[in-house]
Amino acid sequence: MKKEGKKAPVAQKKQSFGVYMKRYWQLYVLLALPMLYLLIFKYVPMIYIQIAFKKYSIVQSVWEMPLAANHGFEYFIKAFKNRDFINALRNTLVLNLLDLVIGFPAPIIFALILNELVFKRFKRVVQTIAYMPHFLSWVIIYGLALQIFAPSTGFLNMILTGLGFESIPFLNDSAHWVGTYIFLGVWQSFGWNSIVYLAAIAGINSELYEAASVDGAGRFKKMWHITLPGIKPTIVVLLVMNLGNILGSSFDRPFALQNNLVMDAAEVLATFVYKNGIKGLQFSLTTAVGFFQSIVCVIFLLLANWISRKLGERGIW
Amino acid sequence: MKKKLLSVLLAGCMVLSLAACGSGDSGSAPQDTSGTQTTQQDAAAPDTAKESDGAGDAAADPTNGEVVDGKFVETRKITVEVYDRGNDDGSDPTNNNYTKYIKEQMLAQHNVEVEFVAVPRWTEVEQINNLLAAGDAPDICLTYDYPTVQTYANMGGVLDLSSYVDDYRDMLPNLWNWLGETNIYWDKDPVNGTLWAIEGKRAVTNRINTFVRKDWLDKLGLKEPTTRQEFEDMIIAFRDNADLLLGADADKMIPYSVSFDVGWRAALLIESFIDPDVSDYEYYVNGFDDRALTQNGTKEAIRLLNKWYNDGLLWDDFALYGSGDSTEDDMIKAGYVGAFMHNWDYPYRDGENSIQTNLQRMVGPDAKFVVVDCFEDIKGGHNKFITSSAGDRKIFFPTTNTEPLASMMYLDFISSPEVIQYLQIGEEGVTHNKLEDGTIEIQAATGDDIQNSGFNIDYTITCNGLHLMDDELTLKSMAYSYSGIDPELVEVAHKVCNTDTRPAKNVNVGAIAAEEGQGPTLSSKRDVVYDTAVSAAVEDFDKVWDAGIADYLSSGGQAIMDERAEKWKATFGDTTALPE
Repeated sequence: MKKEGKKAPVAQKKQSFGVYMKRYWQLYVLLALPMLYLLIFKYVPMIYIQIAFKKYSIVQSVWEMPLAANHGFEYFIKAFKNRDFINALRNTLVLNLLDLVIGFPAPIIFALILNELVFKRFKRVVQTIAYMPHFLSWVIIYGLALQIFAPSTGFLNMILTGLGFESIPFLNDSAHWVGTYIFLGVWQSFGWNSIVYLAAIAGINSELYEAASVDGAGRFKKMWHITLPGIKPTIVVLLVMNLGNILGSSFDRPFALQNNLVMDAAEVLATFVYKNGIKGLQFSLTTAVGFFQSIVCVIFLLLANWISRKLGERGIW
Repeated sequence: MKKKLLSVLLAGCMVLSLAACGSGDSGSAPQDTSGTQTTQQDAAAPDTAKESDGAGDAAADPTNGEVVDGKFVETRKITVEVYDRGNDDGSDPTNNNYTKYIKEQMLAQHNVEVEFVAVPRWTEVEQINNLLAAGDAPDICLTYDYPTVQTYANMGGVLDLSSYVDDYRDMLPNLWNWLGETNIYWDKDPVNGTLWAIEGKRAVTNRINTFVRKDWLDKLGLKEPTTRQEFEDMIIAFRDNADLLLGADADKMIPYSVSFDVGWRAALLIESFIDPDVSDYEYYVNGFDDRALTQNGTKEAIRLLNKWYNDGLLWDDFALYGSGDSTEDDMIKAGYVGAFMHNWDYPYRDGENSIQTNLQRMVGPDAKFVVVDCFEDIKGGHNKFITSSAGDRKIFFPTTNTEPLASMMYLDFISSPEVIQYLQIGEEGVTHNKLEDGTIEIQAATGDDIQNSGFNIDYTITCNGLHLMDDELTLKSMAYSYSGIDPELVEVAHKVCNTDTRPAKNVNVGAIAAEEGQGPTLSSKRDVVYDTAVSAAVEDFDKVWDAGIADYLSSGGQAIMDERAEKWKATFGDTTALPE
């Protein structure tokens, strides 16, 4: 087929495209709707990225707004001079790195353990329970966290003080709060994220395990030499995507969990943008911040992908 | 094959995206420009009207025959913002018996159709921002936040009302009678004369009170506190006698409750530390923060709160629950709280749902909160900073308002004494009863007659607080307006918050550029400073407070103070007192 295509003259190629479209047009029709969605909701709004470089006005169209000072870079300069932004940047990095270090391996380990379970029914029950937190909104999770971790009325602290220990400031001390934040994040997502790995594990050829058993490999040997290498491409793809999001942050998780006592550790870029942009009306400044965030994310994504390819993995494209 | 398919796919995507992008662009761009064009025209309209008015006959109709006998010749349509308070058993704020009344009356009197747009009360600033930015804002907007109005005005998004209030003065008798020059011109720029917003009027300028559990005082044989020291002794007594007062729930005792909003919920305590002789100049320059964060004296007040916090006299978890959370109210209702400060009538509000009624339901008929007056200033007197009749809700028209005159007529209509009275007390027999001496007693209504806000203040946008056509009757009726509450308690509350007061003055030195866009950021910083300082360890207090203040000042607080000082000097010279 490939050879044929190479040899074929131009006219014939055109004809084969027509034939091709005639055969597969239904697929493209199916594709049209999601493409339209992306266009309308993801690409068209990007026109307004310009306001990062312009003096924003609600009554002018984005094309009419005058360019900001310093060749349009005024708001980027302003952002980097703003201590709150630097803090938010640091917090975003720290929280995301911790999330990556602790939160990324968790679903892999969980999937490996789950895979070793012999009782099918027990496995299914565990799996379902582990998925469940994924469907809770962060506001509800914070409500639960308050019931459990609040310093005076939290269930856990009431037990601790009842036993004569000091209560632990899970939510009202910055260092403890970071721990709580990471823990709740892992708890909420590890079950759901393990689905991908479980699917990858299911795709591994079972003959490999049989052969390994014949060769005398135990559980751990099989896990190490068959399961892990089997899901390595999946791990790498997800790792690359996670690294691409190192400076991105969800809004609802930090926003729901933060409180005034831990703001020095809890203010992240997403909440900074909300406070200064939506509430403080500094739309240009916060668009600049968002734009910067996206640029860094793209750089990280490309870099991680490049490294993974260098290391002989497939990367995501 | 794979590669070929992929490339065809990608090419297809690109073609599609380009095509849609092009059409999207061409579709949205002209819309945008046409939008701006019309708003520019509208914005220009009043000016031309004014010019022709001035050039021609002074007595000529400023509306050019659009309005005959106060009625538009052609029906006009306006939209009006109304708060949605999300009450559990409320009526639909955009469609109930009161909105029906307004709509019918406006159509009959002025030939103007009115439509209400609900905006959630607790996120009003964010919501209005979004609506304004999207060009969907109601024709008549209101907000408690002037910096928001100023910011949008600077972007050209707000109509200048100065020509409307002056040129159409004769057509707006009720508005002028009710608000007067004080409230109408309150925000007028002293230099260029622009007027971005009209200040609604507080019919009642009562602000804040301290409430304590009278039944606990009686149980412990204590008198109502009259000094700060007695207040401290009282909350210590509450703490130490938790077993007696709460029995099995002793560990839930909160002697004195503040929320995350310390600056408001301890305002009387904080302000008692401010020198009563503070000059207008100093109070203004340090006064950007409406919770007195940067006033001289506040630090010592917070030091006291910090001590109380560490002595177990405050609620441990106060900073963890955000705005609009009902946890604290629920604890007060359940009877765990000994004292708190809040809006002057807070525990008596909301009829069946009021704190007092709930408390009595859950604890017993003796349980009640009474008002005390116990925070003396450094001179030994009392010095309560109260608001003026302005400085409350601001009404502004976005430039998308194509019916400014009809909107002004709405404001005039909603300011007429009859309309205010009807909206506030409703129909006799349905929402109120008349006592023998004519006093109005509010009773709980049902269905579409439910008032979502006390006295329907969400509809009477130029009037906040009860205002009947007869002043004496208003005072008497106010005490009876709290269904299920002993009128005597309300009278005491009203009296206490009106003794030894210092009304706010209007320092209008023009727009302060440094304040633009800073309000929400600095307010949340303020709360962080207060919360971290109150909950710090006693020995860390100075460190935490000073670091917090330094951060606040360097994040824009200092720039605001400097500009305020500078503009004061430019306007009033070296004097530190406002001219009378």
